[in-house]
Parts: sequence; structure tokens; C-alpha cells
Amino acid sequence: MAHSSRSFKTQLLRHEVLLLLVLALEIAYFLNFARNFGTPDNLSNIVRHSAEIGLLALAMMPVILTGGIDLSVGSLMGLCAVLFGVLTHDWHWASLPAAAATVAAGLVAGAFNASMITLLRLPPLIVTLGTYSLFRGLAEAITQGTKTYRSFDPAFLQLGELRPAGLPLQAWILGLGALGFYLLVHRTTFGRSFRAIGFSPEGARYAGLPVLWRTALPYLLAGGVAAVAALLFTARLRQARADAGTGYELAAITAVVLGGTSIFGGTGTVYGTVAGIAAIAVLNNGIGRIPAVLKAGIGGELASLLTGALLLIALAAPGLSKLLQSVRKRKTLPASATPSPSPTH
Amino acid sequence: MNRYFRELSVAGALVLLLGLLGVVAPQFFELQPLLSRLTAQVPTLVLTIGIAMVMITRQIDISVGSQFGLCAVLAGNLLAGGLSLPLALPLAATAGAAMGALNGCLVAWLGLPSIVVTLATMVTWAEVLRLTQQGRFINLPAGVQWLSLSQAAGQTALLAASLALLAAMAWLLKNRSGGRHLYAVGSDAEAARLSGINPKATTFWVFVFMGALAGVAAVCNLVQSPQVDPKCGTGLELKAIAAAVVGGIAVNGGRGSLWGAFVGLLLLATINPALTFLHVEAYWEKAIQGLVILLAVVADGIRSRRNAS
Amino acid sequence: MPQTTAMKRSQFLHSLLVLPAALLLPGCNKSETGASAENAAGAGKKLTIAFMPKSKGNSYFINCEKGAREAVQELGVDLLFDGPTNTDPAKQNEIVENWITLGVDVMAVACENKEGISGALKKAQEKGIKVVTFDSDTTPDARSFFVSQATAQGIGEGLMDEAARLCGEEGEFAIITATLTAANMNEWRKYIEARLAEKYPKMKLVDTKPCDDQKDKAQQETTNLLGANPNLKCIMAICSPAVPGAAEAVKQAGKAGAVKVLGLGLPSENRAYLKDGITQSVILWKVADLGYLALHAAHALGSGALKAGDTSFKAGRLGELQVDSDGAIILGKPFVFNKENVDQFDF
Repeated sequence: MAHSSRSFKTQLLRHEVLLLLVLALEIAYFLNFARNFGTPDNLSNIVRHSAEIGLLALAMMPVILTGGIDLSVGSLMGLCAVLFGVLTHDWHWASLPAAAATVAAGLVAGAFNASMITLLRLPPLIVTLGTYSLFRGLAEAITQGTKTYRSFDPAFLQLGELRPAGLPLQAWILGLGALGFYLLVHRTTFGRSFRAIGFSPEGARYAGLPVLWRTALPYLLAGGVAAVAALLFTARLRQARADAGTGYELAAITAVVLGGTSIFGGTGTVYGTVAGIAAIAVLNNGIGRIPAVLKAGIGGELASLLTGALLLIALAAPGLSKLLQSVRKRKTLPASATPSPSPTH
Repeated sequence: MNRYFRELSVAGALVLLLGLLGVVAPQFFELQPLLSRLTAQVPTLVLTIGIAMVMITRQIDISVGSQFGLCAVLAGNLLAGGLSLPLALPLAATAGAAMGALNGCLVAWLGLPSIVVTLATMVTWAEVLRLTQQGRFINLPAGVQWLSLSQAAGQTALLAASLALLAAMAWLLKNRSGGRHLYAVGSDAEAARLSGINPKATTFWVFVFMGALAGVAAVCNLVQSPQVDPKCGTGLELKAIAAAVVGGIAVNGGRGSLWGAFVGLLLLATINPALTFLHVEAYWEKAIQGLVILLAVVADGIRSRRNAS
Repeated sequence: MPQTTAMKRSQFLHSLLVLPAALLLPGCNKSETGASAENAAGAGKKLTIAFMPKSKGNSYFINCEKGAREAVQELGVDLLFDGPTNTDPAKQNEIVENWITLGVDVMAVACENKEGISGALKKAQEKGIKVVTFDSDTTPDARSFFVSQATAQGIGEGLMDEAARLCGEEGEFAIITATLTAANMNEWRKYIEARLAEKYPKMKLVDTKPCDDQKDKAQQETTNLLGANPNLKCIMAICSPAVPGAAEAVKQAGKAGAVKVLGLGLPSENRAYLKDGITQSVILWKVADLGYLALHAAHALGSGALKAGDTSFKAGRLGELQVDSDGAIILGKPFVFNKENVDQFDF
């Protein structure tokens, strides 16, 4: 994985520029061929429908940047939604303190992941695979699987529909989240240390960075953000149930990786993640509006297939060009060693 | 002793759980239902063998559930169309191997991260399956179930075959150079390359083998009932990965044994029936499974810290 | 105010981008803005009806869709068909909100979340889109009519009565459901348990297990239930993959006939078990007719032939059907399939 930093930077630039190009192509194509794609109502729907996954992706980005992963965020959404339901319905709390307590609970859950990963130095994939089951399991146990919390405070439900200054509230929150994570990752020493840890935790430790705490922070934030996503989700869907956020962890990871963050850690940008979120959201919305697809009724399936294909192409493009280069090199320099494949997942 | 700490501790937990069941619900050990329960785990065991090998090589494959479903439906449709059973097995294995080869190409030759590659192929095969089969069950011809044997004989045969596969693979992994290569590549690909192993080829063939096993597992599943449910592969990848992890296969490669993964699978597969036999409500199941996974890794973490200090 | 400028800008942008494409591709589809409200009842205009199952790739709803497509042929309407492909509980809401912006005239929806989807459906109604629900209802204020295969009460009590009949009104039984969160199954379970408490004091519900809508898991759960509860006399499987799964487990345990199996399922998936005497009864309505009726109701509502307060309506080959005071159109009594009659049905 040792590239020179300059060639790496150009490659990164290429990735994000290419992604923006894909996004622009998608939009142009859908504006022309998809039914009513460009209407203000639809554009606002695109944002509203992708807000929760978008927030999770933003929070997932620094986690992956440090070389980790968090599979538990979708399950944590379910747990937080249920907690909010318990607080407002069974304990009769007002919405505001209940929401604050839910976010606090999300942070605690994030801290749980973080402490297992940093203090016990356990692999994040396995820890969060465990909490992926545990959080969803707790949500199911609390509701005995069956209970659905309904009839929330109308003021709270407005969160799902409000449009301050003409944009849906979700757009504001997503924008704020993106800005916050951008500042954290790109404009603070903290953020730079995420990258250093992702490149080499040992190196970062020798360089005198407080690796423990700085590895922990992204997981903590992911917990808090999952709680916020759960609140938005509950307001939009008007119900809280143990199945909220099912499968969202994979959607979030997809957006982050599509956005150019290396799954091995060490490289990536927040604006790439934002572009990744947008590319997937636009594809999901637009593909089902193309008349032929509408007629066949295969919008959902096609959207998944194309997202998968886009992900593979985005990842394979630099690898393919590298492979071609190495083949060419091998022809000219038969004795030189080819680079070994990068191990791990 | 220390070397097999994880395997032994998981086996210890399993023995404790079985002991508890023996005291509280001895009917758990009635022979026939026990045989049915064990046979039902054969497909997952076959997948777990493959997943363990993939993880030892420091890769992961989350597309195996989708591969499994696609192979089951393919073999089921061919059998329903008159294909003979002895041909279904190699066909399903070949189909699986082809899907595995795609993963392998992308991971080994293009150097792409396996978690992302297999995430994409997982979605792709699942959607292909949904679009082609549309959720319809396939009714298999008579004689497919239990390979035309009696039920008990068929179950015993399946169990014996899967255990033989496990023993053979475990032996190969420990004692043959091809098997040792997986550990070498998983612990340090560069060092492996310098000592004359081709890490790319090793990685590629592990994925191909994983795919073939997914096909074999699918056939092991469809001979257990007269119908194929196209959703039969859903979630199997997580079961197999969890079994491997609990059984001590390290996610960062190079460590663990198939016997450990086997014990891990037995433990996880016992929890669900144990809850029913101990009359614990169903909604606790996921939470308890999560706890078991966490306990297994925490024990490992604490032990390795103590060893280090 | 900002919305209207945004609209103008986007329309401008839109026309800018459409122009060259329209020149290049003469056959390309133009967008239809605001088609629904004004033209809904307009004579001569083809109605666009959107039809949503609870999930795609599910044999029950595939049969439903078949019936709906038959009605589409008869009525000459445009059909949009879409539904969730994953287990995300928000997906149906998103599809409804997308349909609103697509400008459909009528929606027919089988609701996964009764309360959850009501907000989105009300939004559609505010835009002048007519809404019918089928298979499982939303809150009554979010739709005009509900095409029902039978009421939740009817299904729950029917299942319990059939189980009691098979067991001679005494003994233990267990339920296999799809997931613990499935809303309509929880509704049925409520009525099953109420009927049990009210009419069958000698029967006992010992356990309820989820099978994740998978046959194999249903089989494993049933094997466990049979072992853990030796006095079990009956398994009630209330989601369609669970019925053959439970039957296979009973067969493998060698308890065919001693432990009765009944449930809600498709005859084609249970034929062999019914004939072998492992499964006693499978209860289901004609699923294709449910889709057919839902589409007829949607069409009648969209064209103005069916209005609030009507007490009956004519639905193609199904003839005249009653509409009750809550706006529910009942398909008719469910069938009980058994060894004798299962060959008469081909779905």
C-alpha cells in the first residue's frame, strides 16, 4: 500500500472528480429520461429519503478512515428508536428531554463499541458484529418484538416534514453534519490523526499521538449520529419499532467506499462521501422513474444492481489501470518484481 | 493447552450449555430430533469450512448466502426439469465456483478489498435471484429428498459426509503445503511471496473453493426437503462468519483452525434450540447471540493482553 | 416564495436539458407535470394506477400481481408496480412519496405499517390522488376504501377455530410467525389469543416463534418446539413459508397425524403435505382475485364510479360486492384447502 503521496493525491482527485462526473451524468440523464425527476417536490424527497443513511455514512467515514468499521449503526438506530418510544410513551417524558436522552444513549452505545475496540484492542469488525446482534436484540427484547410506538407529539412529527427556508429539514441537518465532519476531518489536528492512525496505528503511536482516544472518538460520534438518525427516522415514519434502520449499515459503508475512502483506512475525504451519498440517492430515485423501468416494475432491483455495479467499477478502475501498467512494465523490465496484492478486507 | 485455549474454552461453554440442558430438559437429547437438528446445520457447516479458510487467508466473503441461494434455485430448477441428482452436485459446485472466481479475480488480481467486492456481489446475486425466481418455491421430484435413502440413513450420510469433509480440510490445512500457504498468506503476504508462495493465486483459489463449497452446501440443503425456498440463503453468511469468529478464526488472518470454527458453529447452533427447550421467550435470541460473540472476543482480548504484558 | 423561484429555475433548467434530447430522440418520453388532480375523472384519459405489494419477490404477492394485471387488461389503464425489495420499514413510504411526484391518479397499497404509512398516504390525498388499500389496511382516514380478503378478526378466529376443531378443543399448540415485528400477523395473533381465552379453556398456547419468512428456519423452530413440548398437539403456521417448513419438521419427527399442522399458505406449496396427511388444513383466499378486486376498486374510485358512502360495487367477473360502513370491500370467505379439494386449485 505504499504509494508516493503525490501520485496518491492525484489518484484521489481523480476518483472524486470522476464521481462528481458520474453524479452529473446521472442527473442529466434523469432530467431527460426520468419522469418528473427535476420537480422541487422530488428533489426534496431525494434528500428526505436519504437523510438517515447519509448521516450514518458521514459518521462511518472517520471510522473507516482510522482503519475500522462499525456494523452496529443500523441496529443502534433500532435501539434508539425504541428507547425514544419508551421514554415518550411509557415514561411520559416530553419530546425534547426524551430526544436528548436518546442521543445520550446513542453516545453511550458508541462508547461501548469504542472501549471494546481501544481498551481491549479487539478487531472492530468482530466487536461491531457482536453489537450488531446485541443492539437489535435489546430493541426486540424491550418491545418483546411486537410493540410499535405510535402517536407521537405532533410538534416532534413535524421534524419529518418541516421546510425551513424552502428546504426540507433533513437537508439542513445533513448539510450541518457534512460541514461538521468536514471541519473535524480536514481542518483539525484530530482529523489528521485519524488518517495517520488509519495508515499505521503503530506509527501514529510512536509519533506521540494519543491513539487510544483518537481511535475511540469516531465510534462515539457514530453512536450519537445513529441516535439522531433514529429520531429523524421516527419523525418521518411516525412510528418507532425495533426494525428501524435494518440494513442501513451496509448502505452507509457503500456510500463511504463509493466516495473514495479506502476500506483499509488512511485515505478519504468527507466531500467524497457526500458525493457518494448523492450518487446513490439520485440513482435510487431516478432509475424507478424511467418509463421502461416503471412499466416493468423493477425499479428497486435495478437500483440495487446498479449501485453494486457502480461500486465495483469505482473500485476496479484504478486497479485495472495499475494492472495494465504493471503488465506493460513487466514487458519492458522482465526481472522486476510485481507488487504483491494488498491483503486484508 | 495454551495453543488451543480458544477451542477448548468454546468447547467448555458448549459442554456447560449441554449439561444445563441435560438437567433441565433431558428430552433435548432424544436421538431422532437431535439427528434432524444436526443435519439441518450441515449446509452451514460446509459454508463455515469455506469462510474459515477465506478468513485465514485474511479475506472475507459476505456473498456466500446469495451464492448459496442462487445455486439452490439453479439446482432445484434443473432437478425439477429432470436432471439426475448425481449431476446436480457438480453442476451446483461449478456454478458456485464460477461466482467465487469472480470474487477471486476482483480481489486477487485487481487488489480490491474483499469486504467491498463481496458486498457488491452479494447484492448483485440476490437481485438476480429475486428477478428470476420471484420468490416461487420449487417442488422437487420424489427421490431427491434423502438421496432416495430412508430418512435416518440419509441424515447419517449427510452428517458423515460433512464431517469427513471437515476432517479432510482440517488435516490438509495443517499438514499439507497447500494448506499452510493459506496461513502464510494470511499472516504476511509479502513474506509469503518472498518464500516462493504466489499470494494472488492462493487468494484466487480460496475464493473459487469457497464458491464451490457454497454450491455443495446448497445441494446439502435441498436434499433435506421436497421443496426449495428461494430465500434459503438469506443471512447464512453472517451465521458462518459468526461461527468462525466465535471458534477463534482471527479476522486479521493467519490464525485459527477448522475444528475451532466447528465448535463455534455447534455452540451458536445450540443456543437457539436451547432457548426453546429452556422456555426463554424468542425475542431474547438476538441479544444472547450478540453477547456470546462479544464474550468470545473479549475473552480473547483479555488473554492476549495478559500474554503481552 | 423560494419554492416558486426554485420551481421556475428547475423548470428552466429542465427545458434547457430536455431540448437537445428531444431533438435527438423524437420518441423520448416527456414528463407529465401535475397530471393527477385535474384529469383524474376526465373522460377519455387513461387512468394511471399505482399498485404496491408489501414486498417483492414473494409468491403470495406475485399471485396478487397476476390478478391485478388481468384487471389492467380488462380496464385499459396504465399500471405502475413497485414495492420494497428489502426489509427497510421506510421503503413503502418512500415509494408512495415518489408516486405522488410521478403524478398517478390512484394508488392501491398493501400496507406493511398501518400507522407509519398513513402520513404519506394522506399527503397523496391532499394532492388529489385517490387511495385504496388492500390485503392490510392503514388508518381509515388515510384511504377511501380497503379491499379486504377477510378481516383480521375473521382470519384470527378462523385459524383458532380450525385448530380447535383439529385438536378436539383441547391440548397444547404453538404458533410460527414471520417476524416478531410483522404488524398484520401481530393483529391476527391478538385475535387468535382473544378467541382462545374466550372459547377454548382447555387449549393452551405454549410458544410463538419467528421464522424470518424462511422455510428452513420454520422447520428448525418446529423441530425444537416438538422436542421441548412433548404434549404439543398442533402447529399453527401463520406465514406462507412456515406451513411447509412446519410440516417437514413434523414428518421428520415421525409425528404425522399425531401433531396437526395448519396455517395460511398457498395450495401449490402444500399439496404434497396435505395429501400425505401431514398438514391437515391450509387456509387462504384466492390471492389473484384479491389483486384483481383491488385494481377494480382503484379504477372505479378513480373514474368516479365508486364514491364514499356507496354500499355495493360491481367488480368485473367477481360480480356485485358489498361495501361496509368503514369502507371495507370484502372479497369473500377464505377457503379451507384440505386433502380432498387441493387439486382443484392451481395457485
